[in-house]
Amino acid sequence: MNKNYILYALILIFGLAAPFIFPAFKVQLSILCVLIILAITWNIQGGEMGYNSFGNILFYGLGMYLCASVQVGMFFPLAEWTESGGEKTFVHTPSQFFQGMAVGLVVAAVIPTIVAGLIGYAILGLRGHYFAICTLGLGVAAGEISGGIEIIGAGQGFTTPPFPNVGGLEARGEFFYLLSFTALVLTFIAVRAVYSTRFKLILNAIRDNEDKAEAMGIQTMKYKIIGWMISAFFCGLAGGIMGGLVGYIDSTDVAFDGREMGVFMVLMAILGGKGTLWGPVIGATVFHIFKEGFWTFFLGWQYVALGVLIVVIVIYFPEGIMGWLREKYPERFGEVVDEADRKAQVELK
Amino acid sequence: MKINKIILSFISAVAILLSTSVVSFAKVVGDKIVLGAAISLTGKYSSNGVHTQNGYNMAVDRINSMGGVKVGGKTYKFEIIYYDDESNPKRAAQLAERLISQDGVEFMLGPYSSGLTKAIAPVTEKYGVPMVEANGASRSLFTKGYKYLFAVLAPANLYLDVAIRTAVELNGGKGVRIAQAFEQDAFSQDVRLGILDAAKETGSEIIIDDKLPKELNDMAATLVKVKQMKPDVLVVSGHTKGALTAIRQIAEMKVDVPMLAMTHCDAAKLSKQHGKNSQYALCASQWHKTLTYKDNFFKDGMTYAADFQKEFGYDPPYQSAESSAALLVFKDAFERANSFDQKKVRDALAATNMQTFYGNIKFAPGGQNVDKPMVLFQVMCDGAGKCENKVVAPLKWASAKLIHPIPKWSER
Repeated sequence: MNKNYILYALILIFGLAAPFIFPAFKVQLSILCVLIILAITWNIQGGEMGYNSFGNILFYGLGMYLCASVQVGMFFPLAEWTESGGEKTFVHTPSQFFQGMAVGLVVAAVIPTIVAGLIGYAILGLRGHYFAICTLGLGVAAGEISGGIEIIGAGQGFTTPPFPNVGGLEARGEFFYLLSFTALVLTFIAVRAVYSTRFKLILNAIRDNEDKAEAMGIQTMKYKIIGWMISAFFCGLAGGIMGGLVGYIDSTDVAFDGREMGVFMVLMAILGGKGTLWGPVIGATVFHIFKEGFWTFFLGWQYVALGVLIVVIVIYFPEGIMGWLREKYPERFGEVVDEADRKAQVELK
Repeated sequence: MKINKIILSFISAVAILLSTSVVSFAKVVGDKIVLGAAISLTGKYSSNGVHTQNGYNMAVDRINSMGGVKVGGKTYKFEIIYYDDESNPKRAAQLAERLISQDGVEFMLGPYSSGLTKAIAPVTEKYGVPMVEANGASRSLFTKGYKYLFAVLAPANLYLDVAIRTAVELNGGKGVRIAQAFEQDAFSQDVRLGILDAAKETGSEIIIDDKLPKELNDMAATLVKVKQMKPDVLVVSGHTKGALTAIRQIAEMKVDVPMLAMTHCDAAKLSKQHGKNSQYALCASQWHKTLTYKDNFFKDGMTYAADFQKEFGYDPPYQSAESSAALLVFKDAFERANSFDQKKVRDALAATNMQTFYGNIKFAPGGQNVDKPMVLFQVMCDGAGKCENKVVAPLKWASAKLIHPIPKWSER
């Protein structure tokens, strides 16, 4: 147990020091934090509960718009801010910016949670492919709808408040990194705490055999909704941070970006190994590094390279990196392996 | 707890990877001025992204071969670092950050489209990196108080303003009935706002006001309405795809409308791709090769078009021309500033007042070019089916007379 805490402390120190050790990579590191949050939260459905959701992007986009709207709306008329031909220029003072961000992030986390509860009540009765397709529709619909709402900029997009002029050139990057890293730590701690309770076992029971779980007297619907609400809370938070980081929200390309973010969160969790706590973290990191690498070295072919990577993952690491490691070095995961038994199993296969 | 070891070694691997990646400082190295640009090489804007890149490259080659940039008695050559923004604003903002903080770029060229420029401008502004952009026309770019953003093009709301005014004029000064369909993106929506303003001023009525999705390949619903309601003018804007889709479906459905006004006809190579079907379409353009502006590098529009054709094998759309002009503006500003200090270059850019083959360039405090009007051209075909874009407005440059109303499909 002690060793575990040393590990966590080391990671924490590394995380806090990272933007100062690699100052040029602050934005990439912040995005990495957001990606990890998305992968971890997707894993609650996709990995632990066995419900492949493509709809988590809904909460991410919602959080993004909410955070920015609150941040602007608290101090200025939102409609005038987003109006394209508007001649007025509004500038946030530093205190307005940070206050707005703080309130905005709370709203960005809470409202998607409520939305997840309501939508979950309606659609979590669906199973398997039906659930996946239904959630796929959620993100697409949200993108189209938000693209028509004038007050949040509609097709024009929404420019989020620029970072105020405090603390020099590096302040913005450091602020957003620390913000996203804090959110990541909170997410990790919360999810780890949840996984250490009976709740995780119930989610696993739903994944393995939902009917049997119900027959055992578990109210599966209730747990499925709660699970989704937990995801939505952190997805919304991540969205809010990402909105501020990118600085410009577009309905389908940035906020409800199901084609990229929505698919990436699934890929990252699968790459790392779904159904594990560390899998999504490792998956997201590896994915991000590969992606940035492809982007630099295979300009114009990056999606082809990414596609090849996905094919390789599916063929050679169907269980993800963690799953592959576990199979290769089971003893390192604390599993006792009887060599004779293992051989017998291999021969049986 | 051996798993800890795995995770620890993994983290240290990441750390080593990060720390060994080369952080190069580009800016002005030796005799090179390195500019950064995020360009849409893939995704929905890829064709216009390539037009933009070709325009940039053409100008870089030309300026370098004609002696480069002279600053402080020394001659420098331009070089551009490109990244692919995948037509995605999120990516574009990240790339701007990367160009500036990792590659050390101190001067930027714009991306393609208003949306992407909107995403990049806050970043360049924060770092005080002067950016000359040639493809972000949305008005909202120029009302944010940006100090380091300069656009060589006229703002989007002016694109089709002339078309509406011409229609009203031809209607004996009475208001016209307008049907319009615009893609849901920053640029097209701003063109729409321009039409709304023009309609208000001329007492015209908007009878259809549709929004088109970003992945634009069908607008039949709008066209069915147009057939029913018979407006005087149909306005469509949705980048290259919008122009192609409109012409394809108008021809398929034989929609008769007296005036068809669009954007991006030349970027879509309409007259080549759709031939006679695109005839009579009226298009807003920032530039046309027959305009009579001149400079020392490309001489004039016709020469530019011929050289571009030789180099890239197609007629330059205005997106390429304005992109080339951006480099001319940078060169001029560097030489006047006689320094690579970002602040000084910025001030020199703000004081720009020059003529290029693409048009006059003079920036308003908001950063938009106020010295260059839009032109309208009409696609005109001869008997053999060979189609050409001919300028019809403003009259100063008109090389042909506007054909109005458009003949019905049954009479063509």
